[in-house]
Amino acid sequence: MTALLSIQGVTKVFGGLTAVDNVDLEIAELSISSLIGPNGAGKTTLFNCLTGLHRPENGEIVFDGRSLVGLRPDEITERGVARTYQNIRLFGRMTALENVLVGQHLRLKSSHWSAILRTAGQRAEEHAARESGRELLEFVGLEGQENVVSTNLPYGDQRLLEVARALGSRPRLLLLDEPAAGMNPRETDRMMELVHRLRDERDVTVFLIEHDMKVVMSISESVSVLDYGKKIAEGTPMEVRSDARVIEAYLGPEVAVQGSAEAVGK
Amino acid sequence: MRHDTVTRSVKTGLVAFACLSYLILVGIPGRIGGAALPSLALIAALVFWFNFRRNEDFRTVPERDRGSTGAEGKPGWQIGTNHAPAANDTVPLLPAGISGLNLHLGLAAGATTGLLIAICSSVIVAAIGNGVSIQPVFDKMVPLNVAALVGVSPGQIAQADVSPFRYLLQTVYFAGAGILAALAVTTGGARLTDAARSDRLPVNLSAPKILAAGRLAGLALPIVLLAFIVLLGLPGVSAFGSNEGTVRLLLTLVATGSGLFAHRLSRPGRERRIVTVLLGLGVLMMPFVLDQFQNSVMGLVFIYVMMGLGLNIVVGYAGLLDLGYVAFFAIGAYTYAFLSAPFSSPYISNLLLLLNISPDSPLLGYWMALPVAMLTAAIGGILLGIPVLRLRGDYLAIVTLGFGEIIRLFMLNMGELTNGPRGILEISQPSLFGFAPEAFFGLLSSQGWTFLLALISSALIAIVAIRLNSSRLGRAWFAMQEDEDVAEATGVHLVRTKLLAFAIGATFAGMAGQLYAARQINIFPENFSLFVSIDALALIIVGGIGSPAGIVLGALALKGLPEVLRGVDEYRIVAFAALLVIMMIVRPAGILPSPRRRVQLTAPEEQGPPELSDGAEEDFREPLEKKAAPLNGPEKDEAQ
Repeated sequence: MTALLSIQGVTKVFGGLTAVDNVDLEIAELSISSLIGPNGAGKTTLFNCLTGLHRPENGEIVFDGRSLVGLRPDEITERGVARTYQNIRLFGRMTALENVLVGQHLRLKSSHWSAILRTAGQRAEEHAARESGRELLEFVGLEGQENVVSTNLPYGDQRLLEVARALGSRPRLLLLDEPAAGMNPRETDRMMELVHRLRDERDVTVFLIEHDMKVVMSISESVSVLDYGKKIAEGTPMEVRSDARVIEAYLGPEVAVQGSAEAVGK
Repeated sequence: MRHDTVTRSVKTGLVAFACLSYLILVGIPGRIGGAALPSLALIAALVFWFNFRRNEDFRTVPERDRGSTGAEGKPGWQIGTNHAPAANDTVPLLPAGISGLNLHLGLAAGATTGLLIAICSSVIVAAIGNGVSIQPVFDKMVPLNVAALVGVSPGQIAQADVSPFRYLLQTVYFAGAGILAALAVTTGGARLTDAARSDRLPVNLSAPKILAAGRLAGLALPIVLLAFIVLLGLPGVSAFGSNEGTVRLLLTLVATGSGLFAHRLSRPGRERRIVTVLLGLGVLMMPFVLDQFQNSVMGLVFIYVMMGLGLNIVVGYAGLLDLGYVAFFAIGAYTYAFLSAPFSSPYISNLLLLLNISPDSPLLGYWMALPVAMLTAAIGGILLGIPVLRLRGDYLAIVTLGFGEIIRLFMLNMGELTNGPRGILEISQPSLFGFAPEAFFGLLSSQGWTFLLALISSALIAIVAIRLNSSRLGRAWFAMQEDEDVAEATGVHLVRTKLLAFAIGATFAGMAGQLYAARQINIFPENFSLFVSIDALALIIVGGIGSPAGIVLGALALKGLPEVLRGVDEYRIVAFAALLVIMMIVRPAGILPSPRRRVQLTAPEEQGPPELSDGAEEDFREPLEKKAAPLNGPEKDEAQ
């Protein structure tokens, strides 16, 4: 397995705060990897650097052999990186299907002139886009909801819709920012199953931030841990779970001395 | 209970007739003219409807609960969706909430009113037929308004040149149109499901029958009116004497209004196409039927419609608050002025002399100048767009406001280039294949020609705007409006999308500006003050942001109404302001809001998932979207 995404020495500074500090990471193609760490560890900032919302001060981000640093967010999406957001950021007044259609924006090629003239090609493309949008909604489990305005969807469904919208751009790498946050156990199970299906049926590499350790430990093949912007551990879930520095980061030094590995697993 | 209902509706009809009579006595129809009845009937029907809806709200919960079970229990009332394709295929004109009871009441009230008016009119006719001199009676009453109401001018009565037959004909015609209008309004908006829930309808008068009748009435109304307008247009026909002009204006307005009704009521497919054609005919007939003054007002109104549609792309679709929109209007106007007026600045004439062109003759005709004006305005839009790309909200509004003023001050102070405050005079008129339009249409005045051009341009702009809005560009605009960062991260090229919005909006303003210059003949920098921007923005907000049909209504209300209200002279601005205030209280999202705005402005808990397929702008979308409809009603009921 080759590395689809490789991050070398990425540093992002906000004023005096180094949010991401010289982080190296590799994401293997068709893997499911997680990024964990305490609140404020710089996980979302790292995601923002990957998707072009922030420009890192230092370091190199190589996706599929080409650098992503300095590209605009839409160019990065064009290359095949899509994401969801920690606090759901759907286009609230648009319907579910329209949200997914915006996700497909990049992959639609008909010109605006053809939209004015309503050429056969444009109509066919729109029709195909709607079909595939519907198909994506069905894939994430939102069949029949396409005309519901997205703010009116239940919370868990809004998260699913974010995934569907991200899939609209046909990404190779999908960044999920706390996909299971605020979900009940049943919804969490659904989300985990979805993540597996993303990889198995859609050939999407998944890189996710998550706080729910049950999710992290059960679905990820590799886990990286950030603390105060630095990467402090990396490895399989089992390895990370027993890493003393990780336990210290999460539970404080005294607990770490006791060496209770199970504490992290909780 | 049924007896009660009937009594109530008859009472309502009596009240309506009393109101109409009062209006007649006060003298309103005399000012509006002979088309008063259909208009008043429409207004009355709308009032009934509002009234009934309020009554409905008082007893919503128990009634609905009972209704959902009662509908199944009663043998005559098993109306599933498949039993009534007629009502299901049509898009409801008015929101849900009308029950069968309301339908029935409205109908009976409308019929009563119409009947009473017909009786009164026939009494008058009978009196004339028997040689009774009517005029003294009327003189003792208020100046001959009753006659005006049924479409006979005071002069005609005075000269006794009115044949009872024609009098009767017109009475019947107007009473009929009034009943049709009342019928269409009260039934047009009803949803069958709501009607079915109410178990108060008489058994022999079933909801589907009423609905079908109302639908047919709504469809018939514009046809009847159009036929009448055509009749009016025939040489030698003068039905209304001194009120002729006003009557024609109102008739065409009512005809197009009812055409819109019919459009909403019609089934998709052939029926809708026919109605659309009729509607288009009705609208296109206006410039030919109206007089010079009306045409000039309507021309201005539709120039503002063009601007409103363009500004709507920037503000309504892309969500960029642009307060300097007048700049592009001015650019379009001055570009055309430079190209077509004898005045040219020393710079330009020197250049022309170098090129061996006489500076005195117009450089380009209207049609050749059109792309130039559009292009210059578009370039202006991009030039404004580039510096404000990073600005949002209030900051954007201030900068654009400044840009609008800069252009005006530029025109004012660059005297050598623009002739400064003296303006540019004698701008040439749009021709038709090189001839003056009068050569083609004897019927069409010069103002009518401007109006016709504005109408056609508005239609083209509306089509372009609607189509762009329903394409991927429109989705990108809306996504950008919702969340700029996420839109960019989802793959929307922000710079291109924003600049396109500015450029397309500016292009349309340029078109409007050019037509405005041609209409005014002489233009001055003061024509392009901040108030033009404010008017354009206000008409969008009044009409309903994002909705082209709303913009037309907004322009009529904002630019047309003050002119119509000239009859009320000193009170007209007060009346106008009051209308605006009432409007914003009654319909805060605008007269005809786009479905999306409705989503924004209504509290989420009040409504179920709204379907987005019932707005005018959504008409071009694929019918597949209508699958959402079942989500509205049934689920909500189960939840309760």
